[in-house]
Amino acid sequence: MFEQIDPRSATPLYAQIAGRLRVAVAAGELRPGEPLPSVRQLASKLRVNPATVVQAYRDLETEGFVEMRQGAGTFVKEVVPERKATERSKQAIDLVRQMIAEAGRLGLTARELQQAIEQELEARIG
Amino acid sequence: MSNAVEVRDILYRAGKAFEIRDLSLNVPTGSVYGFLGPNGSGKTTTIRLLLGLLRPARGRITVLGGDVPKDAPRVLARTGYVPESPHLYPMLTVEQLIRVHASFYPQWDGAWSRDLQRTFRLDGGTRFSSLSKGEKGKLMMLLALAQRPELLLLDEPTDGLDPVVRRDVLSALLDYVSQQNATVFISSHLIHELERICDWVGVMDRGHLVAELPMQSFKSGIKRLRVSNPPPRLGDTPFVILSREPSTGSAETWVVRGWQPPMTQYFEGVGAGLKEVVDLDLEEGFVELLNTFRQPQQ
Amino acid sequence: MFRTMLFTQWTWARSLILVGTLAAFAIPIVSVHSGDLGSVDSFTVRTYLVTLQGLGIAYPILAGVLGLILGVTAWGPDHQGRHVYALTRPLPRWQYALLRFTAGLVLLALPVFALWISALIASATVKLPVGLTTYPTALALRFALAALVAYAAFSAVAAGTSRTAAYVLSSIAVVLIAQVALSMAATEIDIVSPVAAAVFVWPGPLAVFSGRWMLIDV
Repeated sequence: MFEQIDPRSATPLYAQIAGRLRVAVAAGELRPGEPLPSVRQLASKLRVNPATVVQAYRDLETEGFVEMRQGAGTFVKEVVPERKATERSKQAIDLVRQMIAEAGRLGLTARELQQAIEQELEARIG
Repeated sequence: MSNAVEVRDILYRAGKAFEIRDLSLNVPTGSVYGFLGPNGSGKTTTIRLLLGLLRPARGRITVLGGDVPKDAPRVLARTGYVPESPHLYPMLTVEQLIRVHASFYPQWDGAWSRDLQRTFRLDGGTRFSSLSKGEKGKLMMLLALAQRPELLLLDEPTDGLDPVVRRDVLSALLDYVSQQNATVFISSHLIHELERICDWVGVMDRGHLVAELPMQSFKSGIKRLRVSNPPPRLGDTPFVILSREPSTGSAETWVVRGWQPPMTQYFEGVGAGLKEVVDLDLEEGFVELLNTFRQPQQ
Repeated sequence: MFRTMLFTQWTWARSLILVGTLAAFAIPIVSVHSGDLGSVDSFTVRTYLVTLQGLGIAYPILAGVLGLILGVTAWGPDHQGRHVYALTRPLPRWQYALLRFTAGLVLLALPVFALWISALIASATVKLPVGLTTYPTALALRFALAALVAYAAFSAVAAGTSRTAAYVLSSIAVVLIAQVALSMAATEIDIVSPVAAAVFVWPGPLAVFSGRWMLIDV
């Protein structure tokens, strides 16, 4: 899940970690009541500053995805379905934004991009 | 105390060629402070000054509330050290070295030491001189960690080690930092490693500390800008220009420090166009920062 | 902490200590039985005592060698690592030096003790004519003192920087070379003897080494 944490990306590390977890919860990979890895384990595994992990978990707690229980760890909360849908659509928009920015850098027109999207989606579904 | 390490106005001379002058630095307690700088900039000398191995000609060094080198023994009881080159007795075995080291520290964690020995795959019966470079590095980190220190002074601990060993060593280090509110002062060339783990960064160049700031500020504050119709003469800019280079056409590429999004207004004010704002990674930022200090400003 | 100091120095010096202890044990017993005291005739007794005196040089030599090598091995490994480990111990430097020095003394006790036991055994097993007495304890004490002086001297030099060691050795070399030069110039000037006398004759510091070392004497 956390394979490509990239310190060189524009997104701060804590945001990258929180982002991955957010998608996992929204997609149902992490179920309500499940514990997240301890700060210690995750910091050690990803080789990042533990404060980074703590910040990611705190952000998720503020947004209502997880709850941090003193002494016990951090656990996934039951997320309302609308919330999940909102999260998914937000992820999709972020993805499209990145793609459009990249297309701009490459000099592609909106039309060319749209055509390519339709073509690829058809190939996948069809 | 709020700062694990405080250095004020240090002057240190070694021969005619090398000097550390007006060095002041602060390492906040509980932080992971990355100490960057090119070879010969004085990183190892600074660490030796912090340990009391060297005495400054002028200035004050306070480590964990103690004056160094006056109170060095008491400070060293709470400080773990991994030097640049291996310093342990070469004819003793891993197990003997662990035993010797443990005898100096009442708070030694034997269980964790055995645990790390297993994780690091260190055979107790091998002599230190027969260990590979990676194994030596792992053992020195094991000793520094199992001591359960409040402060870790690490001088290029992963230098010359293969990637697998580096991961093992850093994982153990971060595991410790998560358990304990320990402070880490780590000097390294491997900027990408430091990027992940440090929340503060200090940059040395030729015996001076040229920058000291939170890692996030350092990273987010340095940007590469593509500017069209740049003004021929620059007045006051809200950011610090580290470098300017001509780009395609009449455009220029600027590398700046201290950038914030509202500063786009500056360009409108001088009749220039800001085409692009790109993040630089720590390595590029570091190189640009050093270049500023070496070339006269235009 | 002292235990591990002792342990490390034992690791570095154990072969020497074992050999030294064996030698210290052997010399008294072997020397005492080097002659035949079957007949109690003064000529035999005199020859016997002269042989003993000759063999007696082994004692100061052994004391000196033990002191030298123990003194040097106490500090050698620290020198090798350029003292980084020693200087980053959570101990004041004088305390560290004291622990090292004391550990060496403890190790030195082994050959001294062996010599004493051996001297006692030798004294007990020899049949002496009237007029001769054994001095096992006095001999052992003198040996202990000589070893201590040698150990302290070499330890002090070895603990210092290579510069102090260089000064000490070069001073000795200068005196010897100067003497050689003066002798070759056919002068009668003797600088070595006065220096040696100042050092080796009481109350000089190394006086304990000179003179006769006799387990059995009149």
